[in-house]
Amino acid sequence: MIACLSIPGFELRASLRARPRLALEPAALAPLEGTEPLLGPVTAAAEAAGVKPGMRLGEALAMCPSLTLVEPDPETAEREWEAIVRRLEDSGFSVEPAGPGCAYFETRGVERLYGGLEQALKRALEAVGSSWDPRVGAAERRFAALAAATVARPGQLLVVSDEQSPTFLAPHPLTLLPLETGRRQELQDLGVRTIGGLAALPDASVAERLGADGRRAHGLARGGSKRRVRGRRQPAEIVEFLTFPEAVGNELTLRRAFGALLDQVLARPERGGRFIRKIALSARLVGGGSWRRTATLRDPTAEHARLKAALAPKLAELPAPVLELRLELVDLTESRGMQLELVRPEGAVIRSHLREGLKQVRASTGSGSVCSVVEVSPWSRIPESRALLVPRDE
Amino acid sequence: MVSDTGIPRPARSAGRVNEPRSALVEPEFDGTPRIVNRQAVALVREEWHVVERWWTEEPVRRRYFEVVLESGQNTVVFRDEERGAWFTQRGA
Repeated sequence: MIACLSIPGFELRASLRARPRLALEPAALAPLEGTEPLLGPVTAAAEAAGVKPGMRLGEALAMCPSLTLVEPDPETAEREWEAIVRRLEDSGFSVEPAGPGCAYFETRGVERLYGGLEQALKRALEAVGSSWDPRVGAAERRFAALAAATVARPGQLLVVSDEQSPTFLAPHPLTLLPLETGRRQELQDLGVRTIGGLAALPDASVAERLGADGRRAHGLARGGSKRRVRGRRQPAEIVEFLTFPEAVGNELTLRRAFGALLDQVLARPERGGRFIRKIALSARLVGGGSWRRTATLRDPTAEHARLKAALAPKLAELPAPVLELRLELVDLTESRGMQLELVRPEGAVIRSHLREGLKQVRASTGSGSVCSVVEVSPWSRIPESRALLVPRDE
Repeated sequence: MVSDTGIPRPARSAGRVNEPRSALVEPEFDGTPRIVNRQAVALVREEWHVVERWWTEEPVRRRYFEVVLESGQNTVVFRDEERGAWFTQRGA
Protein backbone atom coordinates (compact mmCIF):
# COMPACT_ATOMS: atom_id res chain seq x y z
CA MET A 1 0.00 0.00 0.00
CA ILE A 2 0.97 3.61 -0.41
CA ALA A 3 1.10 5.60 2.80
CA CYS A 4 1.06 9.34 3.12
CA LEU A 5 2.51 11.19 6.07
CA SER A 6 1.01 14.60 6.70
CA ILE A 7 2.10 17.24 9.20
CA PRO A 8 -0.22 20.23 8.70
CA GLY A 9 1.37 23.64 9.12
CA PHE A 10 4.84 22.11 9.12
CA GLU A 11 6.70 25.37 8.44
CA LEU A 12 4.95 27.08 11.36
CA ARG A 13 5.63 24.14 13.66
CA ALA A 14 9.30 24.14 12.67
CA SER A 15 9.56 27.89 13.25
CA LEU A 16 7.93 27.47 16.67
CA ARG A 17 10.34 24.75 17.83
CA ALA A 18 12.54 27.43 19.40
CA ARG A 19 9.52 29.20 20.97
CA PRO A 20 7.12 26.42 22.05
CA ARG A 21 5.16 28.84 24.26
CA LEU A 22 3.80 30.52 21.12
CA ALA A 23 2.23 27.26 19.95
CA LEU A 24 -0.47 27.74 22.59
CA GLU A 25 -1.11 31.38 21.69
CA PRO A 26 -2.68 32.96 18.59
CA ALA A 27 0.19 32.89 16.12
CA ALA A 28 0.57 32.62 12.36
CA LEU A 29 3.39 32.29 9.88
CA ALA A 30 4.11 35.73 8.46
CA PRO A 31 4.06 36.17 4.69
CA LEU A 32 7.42 36.10 2.93
CA GLU A 33 8.86 39.47 2.08
CA GLY A 34 7.94 40.59 -1.40
CA THR A 35 4.94 38.27 -1.66
CA GLU A 36 1.24 38.93 -1.27
CA PRO A 37 0.43 39.69 2.40
CA LEU A 38 -1.36 36.42 3.03
CA LEU A 39 -0.97 34.42 6.22
CA GLY A 40 0.65 31.00 6.26
CA PRO A 41 -0.43 28.23 8.66
CA VAL A 42 -1.93 29.32 11.97
CA THR A 43 -2.03 27.84 15.49
CA ALA A 44 -5.16 26.31 16.99
CA ALA A 45 -5.59 29.35 19.28
CA ALA A 46 -5.49 31.65 16.26
CA GLU A 47 -7.99 29.46 14.43
CA ALA A 48 -10.29 29.62 17.44
CA ALA A 49 -10.07 33.42 17.22
CA GLY A 50 -11.30 33.29 13.63
CA VAL A 51 -7.94 33.56 11.85
CA LYS A 52 -7.55 31.20 8.90
CA PRO A 53 -4.54 30.26 6.78
CA GLY A 54 -4.43 32.31 3.58
CA MET A 55 -6.25 35.23 5.19
CA ARG A 56 -5.09 38.78 4.39
CA LEU A 57 -2.73 40.13 7.03
CA GLY A 58 -4.80 43.25 7.75
CA GLU A 59 -8.01 41.26 8.08
CA ALA A 60 -6.37 38.77 10.43
CA LEU A 61 -4.93 41.49 12.67
CA ALA A 62 -8.30 43.26 12.77
CA MET A 63 -9.97 40.01 13.79
CA CYS A 64 -7.33 39.04 16.36
CA PRO A 65 -5.20 42.01 17.54
CA SER A 66 -3.12 39.76 19.81
CA LEU A 67 -2.03 37.64 16.84
CA THR A 68 1.75 37.01 16.83
CA LEU A 69 3.40 36.86 13.44
CA VAL A 70 6.15 34.26 13.28
CA GLU A 71 9.00 34.92 10.87
CA PRO A 72 9.39 32.05 8.37
CA ASP A 73 12.48 29.98 9.11
CA PRO A 74 12.94 27.89 5.95
CA GLU A 75 16.37 26.67 6.99
CA THR A 76 15.11 25.14 10.24
CA ALA A 77 12.07 23.74 8.42
CA GLU A 78 14.31 22.11 5.82
CA ARG A 79 16.61 20.68 8.50
CA GLU A 80 13.77 19.33 10.63
CA TRP A 81 12.04 17.85 7.59
CA GLU A 82 15.25 16.18 6.49
CA ALA A 83 15.62 14.70 10.00
CA ILE A 84 12.06 13.31 9.84
CA VAL A 85 12.58 11.79 6.38
CA ARG A 86 15.82 10.23 7.59
CA ARG A 87 14.12 8.72 10.62
CA LEU A 88 11.52 7.17 8.32
CA GLU A 89 14.26 5.85 6.05
CA ASP A 90 16.11 4.48 9.06
CA SER A 91 12.93 2.55 9.90
CA GLY A 92 13.12 0.88 6.50
CA PHE A 93 10.66 2.96 4.47
CA SER A 94 11.44 4.16 1.00
CA VAL A 95 10.32 7.77 1.16
CA GLU A 96 9.30 10.15 -1.61
CA PRO A 97 9.00 13.63 -0.08
CA ALA A 98 6.31 15.78 -1.69
CA GLY A 99 7.27 18.96 0.18
CA PRO A 100 7.83 20.01 3.78
CA GLY A 101 5.22 18.24 5.90
CA CYS A 102 4.08 15.72 3.29
CA ALA A 103 5.72 12.52 2.11
CA TYR A 104 4.69 9.25 0.54
CA PHE A 105 6.18 5.88 1.37
CA GLU A 106 5.61 2.30 0.37
CA THR A 107 4.65 -0.16 3.10
CA ARG A 108 4.81 -3.37 1.06
CA GLY A 109 8.47 -4.08 1.74
CA VAL A 110 8.29 -3.61 5.51
CA GLU A 111 4.86 -5.02 6.42
CA ARG A 112 6.30 -8.45 7.16
CA LEU A 113 9.16 -6.92 9.09
CA TYR A 114 6.85 -5.12 11.52
CA GLY A 115 4.06 -7.72 11.58
CA GLY A 116 1.42 -6.14 9.36
CA LEU A 117 0.32 -2.90 7.76
CA GLU A 118 -0.94 -1.21 10.91
CA GLN A 119 2.20 -2.08 12.84
CA ALA A 120 4.33 -0.66 10.04
CA LEU A 121 2.32 2.57 10.00
CA LYS A 122 2.54 2.82 13.79
CA ARG A 123 6.26 2.45 13.45
CA ALA A 124 6.27 5.31 10.94
CA LEU A 125 4.32 7.53 13.35
CA GLU A 126 6.76 6.68 16.13
CA ALA A 127 9.70 7.47 13.87
CA VAL A 128 8.31 10.93 13.16
CA GLY A 129 7.65 11.67 16.84
CA SER A 130 4.45 12.69 18.57
CA SER A 131 5.57 16.31 19.03
CA TRP A 132 4.90 16.94 15.34
CA ASP A 133 1.28 15.65 15.52
CA PRO A 134 1.80 13.48 12.44
CA ARG A 135 -1.07 11.78 10.63
CA VAL A 136 -0.75 8.82 8.31
CA GLY A 137 -3.17 7.67 5.64
CA ALA A 138 -2.75 4.50 3.59
CA ALA A 139 -4.49 3.38 0.42
CA GLU A 140 -3.78 1.69 -2.88
CA ARG A 141 -3.60 5.06 -4.60
CA ARG A 142 -1.72 8.20 -3.69
CA PHE A 143 -4.61 10.62 -3.66
CA ALA A 144 -6.74 8.43 -1.42
CA ALA A 145 -3.74 8.09 0.93
CA LEU A 146 -3.31 11.88 0.96
CA ALA A 147 -7.00 12.41 1.62
CA ALA A 148 -6.93 9.86 4.45
CA ALA A 149 -3.87 11.56 6.01
CA THR A 150 -5.51 14.98 5.66
CA VAL A 151 -8.67 13.99 7.51
CA ALA A 152 -6.96 11.84 10.16
CA ARG A 153 -6.57 13.24 13.66
CA PRO A 154 -3.10 13.97 15.11
CA GLY A 155 -1.28 10.70 15.78
CA GLN A 156 -3.97 8.69 13.97
CA LEU A 157 -3.51 6.29 11.09
CA LEU A 158 -6.30 5.76 8.61
CA VAL A 159 -6.32 2.90 6.10
CA VAL A 160 -8.66 3.03 3.11
CA SER A 161 -9.02 -0.06 0.92
CA ASP A 162 -9.44 0.30 -2.85
CA GLU A 163 -13.07 -0.79 -2.64
CA GLN A 164 -13.88 1.79 0.05
CA SER A 165 -11.96 4.51 -1.74
CA PRO A 166 -14.84 6.04 -3.83
CA THR A 167 -17.23 6.16 -0.87
CA PHE A 168 -14.45 7.50 1.38
CA LEU A 169 -13.52 10.29 -1.03
CA ALA A 170 -17.06 11.26 -2.08
CA PRO A 171 -18.16 13.43 0.90
CA HIS A 172 -14.87 15.35 1.20
CA PRO A 173 -14.72 18.99 0.08
CA LEU A 174 -13.04 20.14 -3.13
CA THR A 175 -10.29 21.83 -1.11
CA LEU A 176 -8.50 18.47 -1.00
CA LEU A 177 -7.97 18.67 -4.76
CA PRO A 178 -5.11 20.62 -6.33
CA LEU A 179 -7.40 23.15 -8.01
CA GLU A 180 -7.04 26.90 -8.48
CA THR A 181 -9.35 28.94 -6.27
CA GLY A 182 -11.13 30.29 -9.35
CA ARG A 183 -11.81 26.83 -10.71
CA ARG A 184 -13.01 25.62 -7.34
CA GLN A 185 -15.33 28.61 -7.06
CA GLU A 186 -16.61 27.89 -10.57
CA LEU A 187 -17.46 24.34 -9.55
CA GLN A 188 -19.13 25.51 -6.35
CA ASP A 189 -21.21 28.00 -8.34
CA LEU A 190 -22.36 25.06 -10.45
CA GLY A 191 -23.42 23.26 -7.28
CA VAL A 192 -20.48 20.85 -7.17
CA ARG A 193 -19.19 21.01 -3.61
CA THR A 194 -17.74 17.58 -2.92
CA ILE A 195 -15.24 15.23 -4.51
CA GLY A 196 -18.07 12.77 -5.13
CA GLY A 197 -19.99 15.48 -7.01
CA LEU A 198 -17.02 16.13 -9.27
CA ALA A 199 -16.38 12.42 -9.83
CA ALA A 200 -19.96 11.97 -11.01
CA LEU A 201 -19.54 14.53 -13.81
CA PRO A 202 -18.79 13.22 -17.31
CA ASP A 203 -15.16 13.35 -18.44
CA ALA A 204 -15.72 15.39 -21.57
CA SER A 205 -17.80 18.08 -19.81
CA VAL A 206 -15.14 18.60 -17.15
CA ALA A 207 -12.39 18.84 -19.76
CA GLU A 208 -14.39 21.32 -21.80
CA ARG A 209 -15.32 23.53 -18.89
CA LEU A 210 -12.24 23.37 -16.67
CA GLY A 211 -9.36 22.47 -19.01
CA ALA A 212 -6.29 20.41 -18.10
CA ASP A 213 -6.36 21.28 -14.38
CA GLY A 214 -9.97 20.23 -14.14
CA ARG A 215 -9.29 16.95 -15.91
CA ARG A 216 -6.51 16.20 -13.49
CA ALA A 217 -8.69 17.00 -10.49
CA HIS A 218 -11.47 14.91 -12.02
CA GLY A 219 -9.07 11.99 -12.39
CA LEU A 220 -8.04 12.34 -8.75
CA ALA A 221 -11.67 12.56 -7.63
CA ARG A 222 -12.16 9.17 -9.29
CA GLY A 223 -9.27 7.74 -7.30
CA GLY A 224 -6.20 8.91 -9.20
CA SER A 225 -3.43 6.83 -10.68
CA LYS A 226 -1.75 3.87 -9.03
CA ARG A 227 1.73 5.28 -9.61
CA ARG A 228 4.14 3.65 -7.20
CA VAL A 229 6.31 5.52 -4.73
CA ARG A 230 9.81 6.28 -5.93
CA GLY A 231 12.18 6.56 -2.97
CA ARG A 232 14.43 9.57 -3.09
CA ARG A 233 18.16 9.52 -3.55
CA GLN A 234 20.06 10.25 -0.38
CA PRO A 235 21.24 13.88 -0.25
CA ALA A 236 24.99 14.33 -0.54
CA GLU A 237 25.32 16.24 2.76
CA ILE A 238 28.44 18.15 2.02
CA VAL A 239 28.10 21.40 3.90
CA GLU A 240 30.35 24.35 4.57
CA PHE A 241 29.40 27.33 6.66
CA LEU A 242 30.85 30.57 7.82
CA THR A 243 29.89 32.43 10.98
CA PHE A 244 30.47 36.16 10.88
CA PRO A 245 31.73 38.02 13.93
CA GLU A 246 28.94 40.52 13.38
CA ALA A 247 25.85 40.65 11.15
CA VAL A 248 26.72 41.37 7.53
CA GLY A 249 24.25 43.04 5.22
CA ASN A 250 26.58 44.22 2.50
CA GLU A 251 26.08 42.27 -0.72
CA LEU A 252 29.70 42.59 -1.79
CA THR A 253 30.86 41.10 1.52
CA LEU A 254 28.37 38.29 1.21
CA ARG A 255 29.44 37.55 -2.35
CA ARG A 256 33.05 37.30 -1.20
CA ALA A 257 32.12 35.03 1.68
CA PHE A 258 30.06 32.94 -0.73
CA GLY A 259 33.07 32.67 -3.07
CA ALA A 260 35.24 31.44 -0.19
CA LEU A 261 32.58 28.89 0.85
CA LEU A 262 32.27 27.67 -2.72
CA ASP A 263 36.02 27.10 -2.89
CA GLN A 264 35.88 25.11 0.34
CA VAL A 265 32.88 23.00 -0.55
CA LEU A 266 34.28 22.14 -4.00
CA ALA A 267 37.53 21.04 -2.39
CA ARG A 268 35.89 18.62 0.05
CA PRO A 269 37.27 15.13 -0.52
CA GLU A 270 33.81 13.54 -0.10
CA ARG A 271 32.79 15.08 -3.40
CA GLY A 272 35.15 12.66 -5.07
CA GLY A 273 35.30 14.50 -8.37
CA ARG A 274 31.54 14.32 -8.86
CA PHE A 275 29.55 17.14 -10.40
CA ILE A 276 26.93 19.19 -8.66
CA ARG A 277 23.32 18.82 -9.75
CA LYS A 278 21.63 20.72 -6.92
CA ILE A 279 23.14 23.23 -4.53
CA ALA A 280 21.55 25.15 -1.66
CA LEU A 281 22.55 28.42 -0.08
CA SER A 282 21.06 29.32 3.27
CA ALA A 283 21.62 31.99 5.87
CA ARG A 284 20.83 32.56 9.52
CA LEU A 285 19.49 36.09 9.78
CA VAL A 286 19.83 38.65 12.48
CA GLY A 287 16.65 38.60 14.57
CA GLY A 288 16.23 34.82 14.46
CA GLY A 289 14.86 34.03 11.00
CA SER A 290 16.54 32.18 8.19
CA TRP A 291 16.65 32.20 4.41
CA ARG A 292 17.26 29.45 1.88
CA ARG A 293 17.55 29.22 -1.88
CA THR A 294 18.35 26.23 -4.02
CA ALA A 295 19.55 25.97 -7.59
CA THR A 296 19.20 22.87 -9.74
CA LEU A 297 21.64 22.91 -12.61
CA ARG A 298 20.43 21.64 -15.95
CA ASP A 299 23.98 20.68 -16.80
CA PRO A 300 25.78 19.38 -13.69
CA THR A 301 29.11 21.07 -13.10
CA ALA A 302 31.94 21.56 -10.65
CA GLU A 303 33.08 24.84 -12.15
CA HIS A 304 33.40 27.61 -9.63
CA ALA A 305 32.33 30.32 -12.08
CA ARG A 306 29.16 28.53 -13.21
CA LEU A 307 28.06 27.69 -9.68
CA LYS A 308 28.73 31.24 -8.60
CA ALA A 309 26.71 32.58 -11.51
CA ALA A 310 23.80 30.32 -10.53
CA LEU A 311 23.63 31.22 -6.84
CA ALA A 312 25.40 34.51 -6.14
CA PRO A 313 22.64 36.72 -7.63
CA LYS A 314 20.23 35.25 -5.08
CA LEU A 315 22.20 36.99 -2.31
CA ALA A 316 20.50 40.21 -3.41
CA GLU A 317 17.20 38.71 -2.20
CA LEU A 318 18.37 38.44 1.42
CA PRO A 319 15.78 40.21 3.57
CA ALA A 320 18.05 41.00 6.58
CA PRO A 321 21.73 41.04 7.66
CA VAL A 322 23.35 37.63 7.94
CA LEU A 323 24.98 35.98 10.94
CA GLU A 324 25.90 32.73 9.24
CA LEU A 325 26.14 31.69 5.61
CA ARG A 326 25.82 28.02 4.69
CA LEU A 327 26.44 26.25 1.42
CA GLU A 328 25.26 22.71 0.86
CA LEU A 329 25.77 20.28 -2.00
CA VAL A 330 22.38 18.60 -2.11
CA ASP A 331 22.63 16.36 -5.14
CA LEU A 332 25.72 15.09 -6.90
CA THR A 333 26.02 13.20 -10.15
CA GLU A 334 28.66 10.75 -11.21
CA SER A 335 31.75 12.09 -12.91
CA ARG A 336 31.43 12.59 -16.61
CA GLY A 337 33.96 12.90 -19.33
CA MET A 338 35.36 16.38 -19.72
CA GLN A 339 37.19 17.92 -22.60
CA LEU A 340 40.72 18.63 -21.40
CA GLU A 341 42.36 21.83 -22.51
CA LEU A 342 45.37 21.72 -24.81
CA VAL A 343 47.11 24.69 -23.19
CA ARG A 344 46.75 25.21 -19.47
CA PRO A 345 45.46 28.66 -18.56
CA GLU A 346 47.94 31.24 -17.35
CA GLY A 347 48.79 30.89 -13.67
CA ALA A 348 47.45 27.33 -13.35
CA VAL A 349 50.89 25.88 -12.56
CA ILE A 350 51.61 28.49 -9.88
CA ARG A 351 48.18 27.92 -8.33
CA SER A 352 48.73 24.18 -8.16
CA HIS A 353 52.16 24.72 -6.52
CA LEU A 354 50.61 27.11 -4.02
CA ARG A 355 47.83 24.64 -3.25
CA GLU A 356 50.37 21.88 -2.66
CA GLY A 357 52.43 24.14 -0.39
CA LEU A 358 49.42 25.11 1.68
CA LYS A 359 48.44 21.45 1.95
CA GLN A 360 51.82 20.70 3.50
CA VAL A 361 51.52 23.61 5.94
CA ARG A 362 48.12 22.35 7.03
CA ALA A 363 49.40 18.82 7.39
CA SER A 364 52.11 19.98 9.78
CA THR A 365 50.18 22.62 11.73
CA GLY A 366 46.64 21.26 11.78
CA SER A 367 43.18 22.28 10.69
CA GLY A 368 42.37 25.99 10.67
CA SER A 369 46.00 27.06 10.41
CA VAL A 370 45.68 28.33 6.86
CA CYS A 371 43.36 31.24 6.32
CA SER A 372 42.68 33.59 3.51
CA VAL A 373 42.02 37.26 3.99
CA VAL A 374 38.67 38.27 2.55
CA GLU A 375 38.26 41.99 2.19
CA VAL A 376 34.76 42.84 3.31
CA SER A 377 34.46 46.57 3.96
CA PRO A 378 37.71 48.16 2.78
CA TRP A 379 36.11 51.59 3.16
CA SER A 380 35.34 51.13 6.86
CA ARG A 381 36.85 53.58 9.34
CA ILE A 382 37.16 50.77 11.86
CA PRO A 383 40.32 48.86 10.89
CA GLU A 384 39.22 45.45 12.21
CA SER A 385 36.03 45.59 10.13
CA ARG A 386 37.83 45.89 6.81
CA ALA A 387 38.78 42.24 6.31
CA LEU A 388 38.04 38.78 7.67
CA LEU A 389 40.23 35.74 8.10
CA VAL A 390 38.45 32.78 6.57
CA PRO A 391 39.81 29.30 7.39
CA ARG A 392 40.72 27.20 4.35
CA ASP A 393 40.89 23.50 4.96
CA GLU A 394 40.94 22.11 1.44
CA MET B 1 26.39 8.31 -2.47
CA VAL B 2 28.38 9.74 0.42
CA SER B 3 28.45 7.81 3.63
CA ASP B 4 27.98 9.79 6.80
CA THR B 5 31.19 9.67 8.80
CA GLY B 6 29.28 10.73 11.89
CA ILE B 7 32.08 13.12 12.80
CA PRO B 8 30.79 16.66 13.03
CA ARG B 9 32.97 19.22 11.30
CA PRO B 10 34.32 21.93 13.55
CA ALA B 11 32.53 25.25 13.38
CA ARG B 12 34.19 27.71 11.04
CA SER B 13 34.27 31.19 12.33
CA ALA B 14 35.72 34.00 10.38
CA GLY B 15 38.29 35.92 12.43
CA ARG B 16 39.12 39.58 12.20
CA VAL B 17 42.26 41.09 10.74
CA ASN B 18 43.96 43.88 12.73
CA GLU B 19 42.09 43.14 15.92
CA PRO B 20 42.91 45.77 18.62
CA ARG B 21 45.27 44.63 21.41
CA SER B 22 45.17 46.09 24.87
CA ALA B 23 47.99 48.48 25.68
CA LEU B 24 49.48 50.03 28.80
CA VAL B 25 49.19 53.76 28.26
CA GLU B 26 49.80 56.63 30.64
CA PRO B 27 48.08 59.74 29.30
CA GLU B 28 48.89 63.42 29.78
CA PHE B 29 46.33 65.71 31.41
CA ASP B 30 44.83 66.45 27.94
CA GLY B 31 44.43 62.76 27.13
CA THR B 32 47.39 62.40 24.72
CA PRO B 33 49.59 59.37 25.44
CA ARG B 34 52.81 60.00 27.43
CA ILE B 35 53.99 56.41 27.86
CA VAL B 36 52.96 53.47 25.67
CA ASN B 37 53.83 49.94 26.80
CA ARG B 38 56.54 51.29 29.15
CA GLN B 39 58.15 53.39 26.43
CA ALA B 40 58.03 57.14 26.47
CA VAL B 41 56.33 58.88 23.56
CA ALA B 42 58.74 61.09 21.62
CA LEU B 43 56.21 62.59 19.24
CA VAL B 44 52.46 62.52 18.57
CA ARG B 45 52.30 62.64 14.79
CA GLU B 46 48.58 62.63 14.30
CA GLU B 47 45.33 62.45 16.20
CA TRP B 48 41.83 61.62 14.93
CA HIS B 49 38.45 60.46 16.15
CA VAL B 50 36.29 57.58 14.92
CA VAL B 51 32.62 57.69 15.86
CA GLU B 52 30.61 54.91 14.21
CA ARG B 53 27.60 52.68 14.74
CA TRP B 54 26.13 55.12 17.26
CA TRP B 55 22.73 53.92 16.11
CA THR B 56 23.43 50.34 17.22
CA GLU B 57 23.77 48.68 20.62
CA GLU B 58 27.53 48.48 20.06
CA PRO B 59 28.61 52.03 19.29
CA VAL B 60 32.23 52.76 18.45
CA ARG B 61 33.82 55.92 19.90
CA ARG B 62 37.61 56.00 19.64
CA ARG B 63 40.33 58.61 19.90
CA TYR B 64 43.31 57.52 17.81
CA PHE B 65 46.95 58.69 18.13
CA GLU B 66 49.78 57.89 15.79
CA VAL B 67 52.90 58.19 17.94
CA VAL B 68 56.65 57.76 17.63
CA LEU B 69 58.19 56.12 20.67
CA GLU B 70 61.62 56.87 22.13
CA SER B 71 63.01 53.76 20.44
CA GLY B 72 61.94 55.17 17.07
CA GLN B 73 59.07 52.72 16.69
CA ASN B 74 55.95 54.04 14.97
CA THR B 75 52.71 52.84 16.51
CA VAL B 76 49.00 53.62 16.62
CA VAL B 77 47.11 53.61 19.90
CA PHE B 78 43.54 54.55 20.66
CA ARG B 79 41.40 55.12 23.66
CA ASP B 80 38.06 53.35 23.50
CA GLU B 81 35.76 55.94 25.02
CA GLU B 82 32.96 53.41 25.40
CA ARG B 83 35.04 50.93 27.40
CA GLY B 84 37.47 53.41 28.92
CA ALA B 85 40.51 51.39 27.86
CA TRP B 86 43.61 51.79 25.66
CA PHE B 87 44.52 49.61 22.70
CA THR B 88 47.18 49.40 19.99
CA GLN B 89 46.14 48.59 16.47
CA ARG B 90 47.75 47.87 13.15
CA GLY B 91 46.33 48.92 9.83
CA ALA B 92 44.76 52.09 11.24
